[in-house]
Amino acid sequence: MMNDAKLDFLKELANIGTGHATTALSQMLSGRLFQLVVPDAQMLPFDQAADYVGGLEQVIVGIFVVVSGDVRGHMAFLLPVDSALVLVRLLTEDDSGEINELARSALQELGNIMITSYLNALAKMTTLLMAPSVPGVAVDMAGAVWQSILAGAEVTDEVTVIRTEFFADGEAIEGHILFLPDDDDFKQIARMLGLEEV
Amino acid sequence: MAKTVLITDDTAFMRMTLKNVIEKNGYNVVGEAGDGEEAVALYRELKPDMVTMDITMPKMDGITAIKEIMKIDPGAKIIVCSAMGQKPMVIEALSAGAKDFLVKPFDAERVVESLRKISS
Repeated sequence: MMNDAKLDFLKELANIGTGHATTALSQMLSGRLFQLVVPDAQMLPFDQAADYVGGLEQVIVGIFVVVSGDVRGHMAFLLPVDSALVLVRLLTEDDSGEINELARSALQELGNIMITSYLNALAKMTTLLMAPSVPGVAVDMAGAVWQSILAGAEVTDEVTVIRTEFFADGEAIEGHILFLPDDDDFKQIARMLGLEEV
Repeated sequence: MAKTVLITDDTAFMRMTLKNVIEKNGYNVVGEAGDGEEAVALYRELKPDMVTMDITMPKMDGITAIKEIMKIDPGAKIIVCSAMGQKPMVIEALSAGAKDFLVKPFDAERVVESLRKISS
């Protein structure tokens, strides 16, 4: 059950993690990207989270990992296909507008770097090990991508969804970071950060 | 003769990026591996002067590959290039025998600097 303390805590985590992830993303794009808005963190019921990200039928790109180590769970970076194509163009100079093999590879690496930077930030703060798996990449309607991401995930009540917006090469890019630590491990993170009552 | 480098990363995009940077700076990329297993096999075959190694890869991860390569050649010069920059990982990689650990994303200059440092 969500409470104010839990939401405040998760917003703090979201700010820190997303800050690091954005810095990494910006560096990857040689400084051509910057964050437009303060990340907006929510905790949503499992079945509402997919819809919140943009509707089950919108075509999106999802890069997703399983996290292991001291903290276990799932993490993903999701973006609408238009935003993905802007980033592909910046990374590969391919403006064909297609998610071809090189584009998928670039997106996999981009997602990998973003997600891992987020985890690195949390790991440093908590001294807990959070190791991401090799990422999967899915390009499909949001509903289908959601299935891929959550295959094998613990059925939890709530998913942390962080919405952020970037500006790169004259275009606005929207992205969502999903963080689903296994419930016990979420409590562990809170404890390591000195929050007893979360 | 230019020093030879074996690049290891599970994404083609990263291999391409590294190859461009490395060759632009006067080195010769003699092989590309997509996972740790391939890296070990190519090391045996090509005996490169230096290796760049990712950590999180399918089939065989980078730490295991470093250990296997060090068994083949205790003098192997391996630089880790990975997004996974958490302390226990860095320590494990360096203990296994890597000479340097670069956390992604890194500037091109940083890779070249590292190659120059370990090749001397």
